[in-house]
Amino acid sequence: MLDVSDAAIITKKPPRKNTLSRDERKVRAAFIVPAVIYLMFMSIFPFIYSVYLSFYQAKLTRLHKKFFIGWDNYKQLFSDEVFLAALKNTFLLTTSSIILEVVLAFICAKVFLSLKEQRVGYFLRSMSILPMMITPLCVALIFSYIMNPTLGILNYILSGVGVEPISWFGNPNLALWTIVFINVWQWTPFMMLLMLAGLVSIPTSLYEAASLEKARWWHVARWIELPAIRDVILIGVILRVIDNLKLFDLVYITTRGGPGDRTELLTFFTYRQDFAFFNVGYGSAAAVVILVISIIVTTIAVGFLRKMQNA
Amino acid sequence: MKKLLKTTCAFAMASAAMAGSALADGHSVDWAAELGDHTGTDLRIQVINDPYTGPLAQMSSEFGALTGANVSQDELGYGGLYEKQILNCSQGDDTYDVLFIDGIWVGEFAESGCIDPVESRIADTDDGIIAWDDYMESFAGQASWDGERQCLPIAGYWHMLHYRTDLFERAGLEAPTTFEEMLAAAELFKDNPDFPELEGGMAMNFQRGAAAGQQYFEWLYSAGGSPWASNFVGSDDVYADLTPTLNNPEAVKMVEFFNEIAQYGPPGVESFAWDERANAFTQGKVAMINNWSVRTPLFTDPDISKVTDDFGVAMFPHAEGQSSVPPVGGWIMCINANSNNKDAAWDFMKWFASPEVHTDFVLAGGPPSRHSAFQDKQVNAEQFWTPTLYESAQAAWPDLRPRHPGTFQVIDAIGLEVNRAIVGEISAQEALDKANENVTQILQSEGLIAR
Repeated sequence: MLDVSDAAIITKKPPRKNTLSRDERKVRAAFIVPAVIYLMFMSIFPFIYSVYLSFYQAKLTRLHKKFFIGWDNYKQLFSDEVFLAALKNTFLLTTSSIILEVVLAFICAKVFLSLKEQRVGYFLRSMSILPMMITPLCVALIFSYIMNPTLGILNYILSGVGVEPISWFGNPNLALWTIVFINVWQWTPFMMLLMLAGLVSIPTSLYEAASLEKARWWHVARWIELPAIRDVILIGVILRVIDNLKLFDLVYITTRGGPGDRTELLTFFTYRQDFAFFNVGYGSAAAVVILVISIIVTTIAVGFLRKMQNA
Repeated sequence: MKKLLKTTCAFAMASAAMAGSALADGHSVDWAAELGDHTGTDLRIQVINDPYTGPLAQMSSEFGALTGANVSQDELGYGGLYEKQILNCSQGDDTYDVLFIDGIWVGEFAESGCIDPVESRIADTDDGIIAWDDYMESFAGQASWDGERQCLPIAGYWHMLHYRTDLFERAGLEAPTTFEEMLAAAELFKDNPDFPELEGGMAMNFQRGAAAGQQYFEWLYSAGGSPWASNFVGSDDVYADLTPTLNNPEAVKMVEFFNEIAQYGPPGVESFAWDERANAFTQGKVAMINNWSVRTPLFTDPDISKVTDDFGVAMFPHAEGQSSVPPVGGWIMCINANSNNKDAAWDFMKWFASPEVHTDFVLAGGPPSRHSAFQDKQVNAEQFWTPTLYESAQAAWPDLRPRHPGTFQVIDAIGLEVNRAIVGEISAQEALDKANENVTQILQSEGLIAR
């Protein structure tokens, strides 16, 4: 999960002022250099090396025998049915999860806003953020037990009302939506918190004016609340897009990409190439593609946000 | 094929008798003279977290008492172990001295220089300690690659059919011997009001990936099929021609059988792997499973099993007109090529794998891998499944699953398509045609077949 502070990248650059003395600049540089060196070794070098490897046919165990194949890994990727399925599934997972999270989070935020002066409101708000405090791996394990088709409690409860046992992770038409459900369960509270913070900051005078005008709840939502918190929503969406593009744990534990390729995601595809088959050339090409997609999506979203801020 | 199997069995029995007589001659090892003094040496073992890790730790402490070595073991899951071992190897890591590797990984590890071959060390060691002829032939071959012994076979697994004796008795059925009988039994037990405790007749490994991929190989030879041009029971050189024949008619029929029997499995069987399959059986939810013998002792453990006294074992079933060729697998013990304690590692390995110590290991709960352990009276008295397992081990084919460096990817590629057929996305023929095409590409890129 990215820090909310990462959203700082989308703020406007302050006007450049060059009023520092040479000594002051040296001191500032001295503070920055260690971080830059660390970043070079931990992020930039691995990235450049990944790009380099993506042009080779290379196995981790026999790196000394790698050979240059140009763009072949990339060409193969875009004709690889499993990779294309991973692209489609990642898109479906990301869009459906975020739409559901935004809708549910807005409803929850409104409920908590109406309870803001009550003790029960504080309690429920604290309880509601528990899911996002659990490690995703543990969430996946918990749900794999709950939704186990033969021994899980969910099917046991449903059988009480006459529902036949459901194969939550094994049914090809259901597996991806089960993943979406768990993902939404865990991360709606994050979006809710952002929206609640936005809603709390709306001046009460606007609500009073709406009340005098006899506005209905959907008028308030459409003309006051949503416009007031749209920046916050967009920041939340950007962070969740990045999160969903790197979602891995849930699929690794529950479905392993199956049934068939119905829950194969880009991250899982890359993991299998890199760490199950040790095809580091092909895996690096997939990783580079994920990075490019992430950059394109976030650039578009950030541009959109800037446009909204300037409007 | 029956004739060949009979010949193989006869050879195995003769070898066993020879090895057994050598042991019966009272060949007693003077371990104090045979093993070095390893006082102060930290010997680290990396091992799969299969049910025999307890007995392994128990035996390791005895080695510590004999040599002064401080033996410790780290246990990991199947995929995690493979990843860690390969990553460690690529980094020249010397943390571990003894590596337990799956027999099918031997090609990858040997060709990548991750393990030290033990051929010359075997030549320098007393025959009575190594007793190579005492190993089950179907398992011993897993430790060799490119004509050289790389490791010592230590924990052989074979598949058996595990079935509920109480339910079969109530239904008036015998343990199935053919696919057809198995299908009929699975259908009878599924959704049958006379057996309300059951959720399915038969559970198998249908999960996409390694689970379904390995299952393809496990059942194929008993279905009468062959996955590679030169790999068939009795082949002199299974790696001579690796041209895939994955979509042979017998294999297509077998996957159709998988698809059919999945209907009679418990809910969600299409996503079952090893753990789910075993759990369904121990919790009394299914009437039959095929399973590796390493888990059989767990079914008798009242702490985790509800069927302790109500299950039996039978030979792996086969297609009508074919013979049973039970799957063989298991773990071999190797010296890490980057270890700084190779002599201590070899001392531990030869001691642990020696016939007498191996029998003690089996009695403590480890899987038997030697004729002498299979023939031990105490083992037979304590583990009722031993005679069936011995018969299975003698009928198995060592090269049932590929052992070359591309094996992981090949198995995964097949597992993806077989799973698609099982969930009904595509037909068995389409699935195997696609698998054949994909595996051909993998083998070509690995340089294992010509482009």
